[in-house]
Amino acid sequence: MENQKTILDRRIEVLIWILGIIFIALSARLWQISVLQGEIFKEKSEANRIRIIELRAPRGIIYDRNGEILAEDVPQFQIVFRPGSLGLEEAVSKLEALFKGRIAINPKQRSTNEWILCDNLSLEEVIRFEEARQELPGLSVETIPMRFYPHGEYVFHVVGYVGKVTLQEVEKGDYNIQDFSGKGGVELFYDKLLRGEKGFKKLEVDAKGRVLRVLENQPPHFRNSIALTLDLPFQKFCMNLLKDKKGVIIAGNPRTGAIFSLASSPAFDPNQLSKGMSQEEWEALSRDQSFPLTNRATQALYPPGSVFKLLVALAAAEEMPDLDEKTFFCPGYFEHNDWKYPCWKRGGHGRISFKEAIAQSCNVVFYQLGLQLGVEKLEEYARLLGFGSPTGIDLPGEIGGFFPNPIWKRRQYGEPWYPGDTINLAIGQGYLMVTPLEIYRMICVLANRGVFCQPHLLDRVIDNQRGEILAFEPFQQKVASFKEETWRKVIDGMRLVVKQGTGKACADLGIDLAAKTGTAQNPHGEDHSWFAGFFPADQPEFAFVVMIEHGGDGSGEAAGTARAMIEWWLKNRGKSHD
Amino acid sequence: MTKRNWLLLVAIALTICGLFAVYSVDPLRDEGFSLASFHGRQTLWAAVGWLLFWLIARRVEVSRFFEWKWALYILMILALVAVLLFGEGDEAGVRRWLFSKSVQPSEFAKLAFSFFLAAYLAEREEEFGYWSLFLKTLFLTGIPAFLIYLEPDLGTALVLVVIWFVGLLLSGFSARRILGIIALLVALFSLSWPFLKDYQKARLLVFINPQRDPLGSGYNVIQSLIAIGAGGFLGKGFLAGSQSQLRFLPAAYTDFIFASWCEQFGFVGGFLIIVLLSIMLYLVFSIARSVPELEGKFAVVFLGSILLFQSTVNIAMNLGWAPVTGIPLPFVSYGGSSLMMSLLSIAFIYRIAARSIESG
Repeated sequence: MENQKTILDRRIEVLIWILGIIFIALSARLWQISVLQGEIFKEKSEANRIRIIELRAPRGIIYDRNGEILAEDVPQFQIVFRPGSLGLEEAVSKLEALFKGRIAINPKQRSTNEWILCDNLSLEEVIRFEEARQELPGLSVETIPMRFYPHGEYVFHVVGYVGKVTLQEVEKGDYNIQDFSGKGGVELFYDKLLRGEKGFKKLEVDAKGRVLRVLENQPPHFRNSIALTLDLPFQKFCMNLLKDKKGVIIAGNPRTGAIFSLASSPAFDPNQLSKGMSQEEWEALSRDQSFPLTNRATQALYPPGSVFKLLVALAAAEEMPDLDEKTFFCPGYFEHNDWKYPCWKRGGHGRISFKEAIAQSCNVVFYQLGLQLGVEKLEEYARLLGFGSPTGIDLPGEIGGFFPNPIWKRRQYGEPWYPGDTINLAIGQGYLMVTPLEIYRMICVLANRGVFCQPHLLDRVIDNQRGEILAFEPFQQKVASFKEETWRKVIDGMRLVVKQGTGKACADLGIDLAAKTGTAQNPHGEDHSWFAGFFPADQPEFAFVVMIEHGGDGSGEAAGTARAMIEWWLKNRGKSHD
Repeated sequence: MTKRNWLLLVAIALTICGLFAVYSVDPLRDEGFSLASFHGRQTLWAAVGWLLFWLIARRVEVSRFFEWKWALYILMILALVAVLLFGEGDEAGVRRWLFSKSVQPSEFAKLAFSFFLAAYLAEREEEFGYWSLFLKTLFLTGIPAFLIYLEPDLGTALVLVVIWFVGLLLSGFSARRILGIIALLVALFSLSWPFLKDYQKARLLVFINPQRDPLGSGYNVIQSLIAIGAGGFLGKGFLAGSQSQLRFLPAAYTDFIFASWCEQFGFVGGFLIIVLLSIMLYLVFSIARSVPELEGKFAVVFLGSILLFQSTVNIAMNLGWAPVTGIPLPFVSYGGSSLMMSLLSIAFIYRIAARSIESG
C-alpha cells in the first residue's frame, strides 16, 4: 500500500516535470512571437487594417475660345472588389444574382488587390447596389472620372481623346498602369498641362473589408484647364460643310496664328475611344479606308496644284522687276524641247498680264516663269515659306510636306532633273507634296507680308488653384523680307482671282478678298479641289484653306465651300472678331 | 497560507482575467452591460460558478461520487446519447448542446469520467500494470470518447483519452509502454483518415502548413500570430488591438482569446496567464501528492490533467504550435459550460484537499 503510493507520487512528479517543460516551451514561443518577431507582425497587422486607395486624377477642362466645354470629366460609377471574407468568384456570382445578368461582368484587375466587376453603372443601379450592400462585403461603388466630349466628332481631330496609358509611358515613370493619358489632339499635346494630381484615401477596414474609418483623405484635383482658340460654332459649321466628303478646312487669324477652325473629315466620336474599344472594333476602325483617325490637315500629303503658283509668282515678282510692264502669250500650250505642256484652258488665254495670269491661273505663264527662275530659286523661295517642314502647330503627329530637288531625284531615281520637272513643279504638280496646313502657312505669310505667326490652338491656360489665366504668347518671325512691290503685285493678282478669275464664286461677298484656286491632279481619281485666301487683303484678319479630296475643279467645289464658310463668319462674327 | 488557499487565489485571478478578456473583445460591448452581451453572460456564469464553488467546498461529500461511480458513468453515457439524438446543432452541423444550447454535456462528461475512472482504478490496485486493466479501461473510455467524437468534438474526445493515459501512467504502466500505445493509436488514426470530416482534415493539414490556405483554414492561425506579434512586449493597451477589435481574429472570445489578450497586454500579459495557469497546476499536482486515499489522488490528478491538456493545447494553438481543435482556454475563454467545468474542477480539488486534511 505504502509502496504503491510512493510509485504514484513519483508518477505525479513526472506530470510536474511535464508541466515545467510545457511552461518553458510556451513562454519561449510567446517571447519569440511577441518580442523577437514583433516588428514583422506589427507591419502585418497594419497591412491588415489599412487600405490605401488611389484616386484617379481628373483632367482639366478643355474649352473653346468662348468658354464652351469641349472635353471634361464626368463621374462614372463602377463596382470594385477587394478581397475580404468573400472570394472573387463568390462576389461575381452574388453580383450577377443582384443585377440578373443585365450587366456584362468581366472582372478587370485594376491593381494587385482590386478588380472592377461592373462599369458604367446608372444611378438607379448604384442605389440598388447600396441597398444590398450589407450582403456584399468587399464590394463597393466607386466614382471614377471619365472623359466626356459633348461635341464628339466635331472636335475629334483637334481635341483628341484619352485612353489607357501604354507600357512605355509607365516605364518613363509618369504614370501607373491604370492611369489614362491623352492619345491624340491637344489631349496628347498638352497632356502634362491637363493632368491633375492624384489623391488617395487611407481607410481602416475590418476583416470583411468593410470600411470603418477614413484615416486620411487626399482628394484628387486638376491643376489646369485650357481654352483653345477654336470657335466651336464655326468649327461645327465647317465640319458640316465637309459632311460626307473627305477634306479639310483651316481658318484663323493670320496675324496672331490663332486657329478658329481646323476641320478634317471624316472624323470619329472620341467618346467611343475613351470608353475603350474591343480589339475587333479597333481593328475595323484602323482598317477603315476613309481614315477617320487621320487628321488630314496635319498628317496627310497632297499635291497643291495651282495654289502653289502663288509661290512661283512671289519668286518671279521679287526676282524680275519689269514684270508689270510685261505681257505673256498663252496659246493653250507651252512647248519646250519638243514637249508640249498644256494650259488648263484648251483655247489658251491669249495675251495676258502677270496679274491676269494669277487670276486666270494660266499654266503657260507659270511654266515660263518657273523655267526662268530655275528649280534652285524655286526651292529657295519654298524653304523661306516653310515648305517641306512642319509648321509647329500644337498638335501631335504633324508631318512636313515634300519639296523635291535635283540631288534628291538623282539619289531616288538615278536620273537627272529635267526641265520638265521644273515645269511641273511650277504649277504645283509632280513630286511636290504638301499638307493643307503648309498651304495655310504660305497664305498667312503672304497675308502678313513676310511675317510668320505659328498657327496654334492654345489660347490660354487657366490655373485651377490660383485662378490665373496665362495667355498663350504667339510665336512670330519675319521669314521673307521681300520688296513691298512684290507683295502688292501678288496680292493684287489674288484680288483679281476673286473679282474676275477662277475664284468668282466669292466675288459678291462684299469684302476685299484675296485668294487662289487650285486643281490638283492626282493618280487616284478625280482632282483635289483647293481654295485658299485671306481678307481684308490689306489688313488681313482671316485666312483660310479649303481642300476637298476628289472635289474636282478648285473654282467649283472648294471655292463654293469657302464662300459658305466666309458668309457664316461674316454673319456671325462680323469684322470685329479677334 | 495553505496550498488550497493559494489555489483559490489563483483561480480568482484567472477568472478576473477571463472577464476582462471577454469584455475586451465583446462585439456587443458598446450596448452596455446586459445578459444579451457576451461579457454579461460570462459574468453571470462566473457568479453562479463561484457560488457552486462555495457550496462544493463546504458541503459536498466527494466520496459519494466515488461510491456512485457507475451511476455517474451511465448518466454520462445517457446524456451523450441524448445529445446525439435530440441535441441542438449549429450551422456547421455540429451537435453539442442540450436544453436550447444552455448545457454542453461533453464538458461535464470530463468531470464525471474523471471521478468514475479514479474510483474504478482505485478499486483495482492489484491489477496495476496488467494488460487486463488496460483493456477494461480502454473499453470504458472508448464508449464516451466515441460518442463525443460523433458530435463531432474531436478535442473533447481527446481529453477523455488523455485522462485515460494519465490513469494508465499512474496505475503502473511505464512511460515507454504508454508511448508505444500512443504510437499504435496514431497508426490507427492515420488509417481512419479517409473517414474524417473535410474540415477536420483541413485543420490538421493547415496546422502542418498554415500558408496552405491563408484565406481559409490557415487564416485563423496566421491572424492569431499577427495579433500576438503585434502586441509586442507591453501590448497595444486595453481595448486597443486592431486585430481583435476589427475582427481580423476569428473566434476572438473563444478559441483565440489568448491571442487577443496578448495583442492588448503583450508578452507581459500572455506570460501572466501562462504563469497563473502553471502555478495553479503545480499546486494541483502537489496537492495530489498529499492526498492520502487513492481515488482522491486519482481524481485530483485527472482534473488537473484536463486543465493542463486544455491550457496547453489552446495556448499552443494560439501560438501556431497545435491544430485548431476548438478547445477552450480554462477560466479565460467565453462559454458557460467551459467556465463552470474549470471552476467545478478546482472546487472539487479544493474539497478533496480539505477532506484529506480533515481525515489525515
